[in-house]
Amino acid sequence: MKILKFALGFILGLLILILPLSQFQPNLLEPLQSMAVQLDGRKKPLDTVALETVEKLHGSASYKQADGSKLSYLETYLAIAFNDRDWNTEPFVLLSYRPLKEAAGFDPEQKHFSFREIIGSPALTAIVKDAHAKQLAEQELSRLEREALTIEERVALLYRTVGDNSLPLVPHPSDGKGTWVTINQATELYSPEDAAPVMALQQQIEQTYRLGPAHRDIVGKLAADLKQTLASFSPAVYPSDQVLQREVFFNGFHPFGKAWMIYGLGFLVMLVSLWFKPTELYWGAMGLFCSGMAVQAYGFLLRMQIADRPPVTNMYESVIWVSFGVTAIALLFEFFSNKARYFLLAAAPLAVVCLVLADRLPVVLDPSIAPLVPVLRDNFWLSIHVPTITLGYAAFALAMGLGHVSLGHYLFAKPDQNPAVKKRIQTLSQFNYRTLQVGVLLLTTGIILGGIWAHFSWGRFWGWDPKETWALIALLCYLVPLHGRLVGWIGNFGINVASVVSFNAVLMAWYGVNFVLGTGLHSYGFGTGDSQMIVATVVAADLGFVLLTALRHVRPGLNSEASETISSEPSAAPVTAEPKSA
Amino acid sequence: MHEAKTIQSQNMTAQTQSFLPQNLSKIWIQLQQILGSIKLAVPLLASIIGVLIWATFYESQVGSPTVQQVVYKSPWFGALMFLLALNLSVSALSRYPWRGPRKVGFALTHFGLVVLIAGSAAVIHISTEGMLLIRTDQGANSLVRVEGELLDVVGPDQAEKQVNLFIKPDNTVSPSEVGGLKLLRYAPNTVTTTRFEPGGPVANAAVKLQLQSDRMGQTLERWLAIAPAGYSDVSVGPATLELRQANTDTELEALLAQPQPQLGGRFGSLQLGENPAIDVEGSLDKIIDLANGLQLRIDNFWPDFRLDSENRPESASDQLNNPAMQLSLRLGRGEAAQQERWFIFANGQFDPIRTSVAGAALDRDALGLSEVSYDVQPPAPEDYFRVVMGPEGERFYAANSSKGFKSGPLEAGEAVTPGWADFRISVAEAIADAQVQREVVEVPEDENLEGEPALLVAMPDGSEQWLPWGDPVALSNTSGDYYAAFSPRMLQLPFGIKLEDFIVERNEGSESVAMWTSQIRLDDPHQGVRESRRVWMNHPTWYQGWKIAQASWNPGDLNQSTLQVKLEPWWVTGLTWLGSLMVVVGTAVIFYGRSAMKNLKAVLPEPGQEESSDAEPPEMGLAARL
Repeated sequence: MKILKFALGFILGLLILILPLSQFQPNLLEPLQSMAVQLDGRKKPLDTVALETVEKLHGSASYKQADGSKLSYLETYLAIAFNDRDWNTEPFVLLSYRPLKEAAGFDPEQKHFSFREIIGSPALTAIVKDAHAKQLAEQELSRLEREALTIEERVALLYRTVGDNSLPLVPHPSDGKGTWVTINQATELYSPEDAAPVMALQQQIEQTYRLGPAHRDIVGKLAADLKQTLASFSPAVYPSDQVLQREVFFNGFHPFGKAWMIYGLGFLVMLVSLWFKPTELYWGAMGLFCSGMAVQAYGFLLRMQIADRPPVTNMYESVIWVSFGVTAIALLFEFFSNKARYFLLAAAPLAVVCLVLADRLPVVLDPSIAPLVPVLRDNFWLSIHVPTITLGYAAFALAMGLGHVSLGHYLFAKPDQNPAVKKRIQTLSQFNYRTLQVGVLLLTTGIILGGIWAHFSWGRFWGWDPKETWALIALLCYLVPLHGRLVGWIGNFGINVASVVSFNAVLMAWYGVNFVLGTGLHSYGFGTGDSQMIVATVVAADLGFVLLTALRHVRPGLNSEASETISSEPSAAPVTAEPKSA
Repeated sequence: MHEAKTIQSQNMTAQTQSFLPQNLSKIWIQLQQILGSIKLAVPLLASIIGVLIWATFYESQVGSPTVQQVVYKSPWFGALMFLLALNLSVSALSRYPWRGPRKVGFALTHFGLVVLIAGSAAVIHISTEGMLLIRTDQGANSLVRVEGELLDVVGPDQAEKQVNLFIKPDNTVSPSEVGGLKLLRYAPNTVTTTRFEPGGPVANAAVKLQLQSDRMGQTLERWLAIAPAGYSDVSVGPATLELRQANTDTELEALLAQPQPQLGGRFGSLQLGENPAIDVEGSLDKIIDLANGLQLRIDNFWPDFRLDSENRPESASDQLNNPAMQLSLRLGRGEAAQQERWFIFANGQFDPIRTSVAGAALDRDALGLSEVSYDVQPPAPEDYFRVVMGPEGERFYAANSSKGFKSGPLEAGEAVTPGWADFRISVAEAIADAQVQREVVEVPEDENLEGEPALLVAMPDGSEQWLPWGDPVALSNTSGDYYAAFSPRMLQLPFGIKLEDFIVERNEGSESVAMWTSQIRLDDPHQGVRESRRVWMNHPTWYQGWKIAQASWNPGDLNQSTLQVKLEPWWVTGLTWLGSLMVVVGTAVIFYGRSAMKNLKAVLPEPGQEESSDAEPPEMGLAARL
C-alpha cells in the first residue's frame, strides 16, 4: 500500500513537469534554436545565446511588453536581433541599484530603462568615465562605480545585439577549436560559391521574420536549410544535432525551476499529513520529494554533460547543489526513521529558498555555462572536494532548519506545561544531533580533501588561506557545542541554538569570505555581491529570533534548563558513552 | 559518567606512577586530568575560533604576509596549537585500552588530529619554497626568489653578517640591529632624487630652468644635464625640455634649425622581407597584396599593448609605449587556403607570435617573410624648449610651439616665452662641470610615483642613511667604512631549469586562456640528468624531492614563465596524508561504527557468545534508532 502511495506522489511530481502544456506545441523555430554558435569559449545553441543575453540585459528570462503581453526569451532575442521595433526607446535594460538611479536622476521605483535614457544621462556617463579612469590607475572602485560599469556592459551588449549579424555561425573548416566567423565573413574560410547561398538564406530569414508571426513556419524552414548548409561545410567540427538539442531541451525543461515547485507541493502535503490521518499522505509526500530529487539530479546530469565538467564550480551551482544535498540528506533520514516528517518539513523550505534564489536572480547568481579558469580545470581532487564540502554545508543547513522547528516549539508551544510538546522537542533535538553528525563528517572530509587539492595546486596542505580558515572555523563552531554537550554545559536547547547560530559560520565560509572579506586564493568567478545587505538583514532577524526564544526559555527559572539537561542526558548516551565501568 | 572515567584513569596512572612520591603523583594525575579534559578542550577550541575570526578580518586589512608572520607563524599561535595537540593526545591516551568501535574511532580521530596538526605545522615551518623566473630566450636558471628580504653587512673589521629581515606592518624591521648597523625603518616606496653640483671631474653642462606662468600661478624648476643619460630630455606636461651639446658649428646650426614636418603615419612602418614598407596607420583594415601571392591585412593595432583581466588584448593608454599589431596573412583561397594570425611587437624585436587559422603553416623563408621588422619612431615633440651649448661654451635656445618657432642666444636672467600659454622660461642656474648628487626620498604609497623599497639604517656614529633595494652601498663612518646590501632573498637550487616552450591554450574562438603550460628542461650536471617535462596548473612535476609547479605568467611576454619550486620532506607529506585518513575514518567509526557492527552481526551467523559479552551499550545509530 505504501509503495502505491509513494508511486502516486512520485507520478504527481513528474506530472508537474509537463506543465505548462504549451511547451508541447509544435515549435516552428526549432531549427533556429538549435543553430550552433561559437561564443565565449564554447559552442552552444542559439537558444542559449538568447537566454543568456536576455537574462543579462533584462534580469529575467522573459520580457513583459508595454501592452502587457509577455515575450519568451527567444522571441525577445529575435526581436532585438532582427530589430523589429525601435529598441532605443524600449524600457528594457535592467537598472536596479537604487543609489545609481538616484545619481542618474531616474525614477527610483522604475526597474528597466531604455537605451536612450541611459545613454542620455550625463551623470551616469560621468560615473562610468570616472570608473574607467580608476580602473586604468588600478584603484579600487566604489559600489556605485561597479554598478555603473555593469550598466555600461548591458548597454553595450544591447547595442551589439540589435540588428546582430556578428554571431560566429560559420564553422571552422578543419580545426575543432578553430575560430568561427560570421556569415558575412564566410568567404574568409570558404569559397564565394559556397558562401553565397548562406548569405542569401540569412537575408531571407531576416526579411521573412519581419513579416510577422504568421510567417514563422517559413522562417523555420529557411533556418533548417541554413543550419544544414552550415553543418555540411564542416561536419566534423559542427556539433551534432543531439548535442545541440540536448542543451535546447535543458533550457526549456528548466529542471531547477520545476524542482522547487515539486518540493513546495511536497512540503504542503507533508504538512497536511501532520494533522489529517497521518499515514495516508506520508508516503505520497515522500514520492513527491523523490520525484523532485529525480528532476534535480537529471538537471545536474544534463548540465554536467553540456559543460563537460564536475557539477559544482561556481556560486550558482553550489547553491543548487546545497538545495539538492539538503533534500537528499533529509530523505535518507526519513527513510531510516519511523515517519519522522520533520526532516523533510525542515528541508523543503530551505531547498525551495535556495532554488528560487538561483532561479530568479540570474544577475547575482550567474547560471550561464562558461569555460573554467585554469586553476579549476583538470583536477580529480577538486571535483570531489567541492561537492563534499558543500554537502557538509547542506547537512548543517538541514540542522539549522530542524533547529528552527525546535526553537519554534520552545517559543510558541510551552514545553513546560505540555509533556507531548516536551517529548516532541526531545525527538527533534535527537534528529538535529544526527544531522549535525553527518555535517561534521562531511565537512571534515571536505576540508581534508581541500587540503589534498591544495597540496597539488598550491604546494601546501594547509596555509591558513581565509577560505580554508573559515571552513575550519565553521567546523569548530559545531565541535564546541557538541563537546560542550558532553560535559553537560548545554542540553537540547543549547544544541538547537547552536545549530542555528553556528550556521552563520557556514554562511561566512560559503559566501562571506568572497563577498565580505574579498581576499585570498579562492576569489575566482563569484561576481559582484548585490546581496550583502539582504543577507545581513536575514541573519540579524534570525539571531533576534534566537535571542527572543532564549529569553523566553530562560525566564521561567534556571531549574527548567537544569532539569532538561538531566532528562536529556540519557539521550546523549551515544556521545558520552563510556563503557559502564564494568 | 565522567566520574567513572576519572576513577578508571586514576587507577591506571596510579599503577604506572607508583614509584613516585605520593604528592608528586597526585599532582601528575591532576595535571593529566586537566590536560586531557573536555573542560579544557571547549574553552581552548572557543578561543581558537576567536583568534581565527579576528585573524581573517585582520588579514583583509593588512594582507596575508603580515598575518602569516604575526599570527599563524608566531610562537603564541604555535603554543595554542601545541596545547590543543596535547589535549587531544592526553584525552585519547586516557581512554586506553581502546576496545570497541567507539573508542577505536575516538582514538583514531584524536590521534589523527595530532598527526594532522604536526604535519600542517611542518608544511608551513619546515618546507622551503620560492619562485623561479625562467625564459625561453635564456639558459637554465637555478636561482629561486624566496619570500622576504635579506640584509648583508660587511663592517670595518671585514666580518660579514647576513640576516633575513621581516618587515612588520608598522614598517619597523626585525631584527633591529645587524653587524653594528641599527635598522631604523623600512619604507615601501622611495624615489631617488637628483641635484647637480659643480666640481665634477669632466666637463658636463647642466642648467636649472625656471618656468613661470602668472595665469596658472605656477613656477616649476627642472634640472637638465648632458650626463647622466635621462637628464637631457625632461618632459613637463605636453612639452619637452632638452639640453644638447653642439661640438661643431654645423651641429649647432642643425640643433637650432626649424623642425621639418614629419611624413608617414604615427604608428610606424612594418617591413616584411623585400616587400615595400607598410605604413601601419594608413593600412589598418585594408587588404594589401604582397609578393608571392600573399595577402595581408592589419586587423588591429594597440599603441600600448597589454592583456586585460580576461586576457584579451587592449591598450593601456594612447601612448606608444608598447606598440603591437595583429595581422592576418593568407595564401590561396577556399579549402586550400593557408591563413595565419600574427602578433608583431615593436619593442624587443622578438619574432612574431604566430597562430594558424586555416591550412598548413606558412613557409616563411619561401615566402620571403624571414625578416620581419616593425619600427615606431617616437614622434618628434611638437612643443619643445631646447637649450644648446655651443662649441665655445656659449648658450642658445630653440623653442617650438603651436604658435611658431623661435631661436636665439640664451643669456642668464633673460626670459623667453616659447608660446605655451603664458610660460616664461629662464636659466636659474648653470654649471659647466656638473656632478650628480642622489638622495633617497620617501614618498607616500598612494601617489602615482612608482618607487622602490628602501631601508633606513643608523651607523655607530649616529649618522643615518637609506639603503636602496638591490643596490649595494658603501657607508662611511668615523670608525671605518661599512658595506651593506638590502636585497631580495634568493636560494640556489642543486639543478637548473630551462624554459623550452611556453604554451598558452585559449578557449575556442576567444582570447580567454584555457590553460598555460611550461615545457621545461631539467639540467642536473651532478647527476648527468637532462630531461624535458611539462608543468601546468594542478599538474606539478617532482625532481629530487623538489616539487615544481606552474605559478604565474606574464600575459605581455609569452617567453616567460614563473614556477613555484618547493622542497617538502617526504615524511611531512606522509604525516598530512596519514592524519587525514585517520581523522576521516575515525569520525565515521565514532558516529556509525557501532550500528554498522551491529548490523553486520545481525547479518552474519553468530560464531559464539564470547563476542557479545564484550558488547557496548546500545548505540543509537542511524539505522538502529530513528
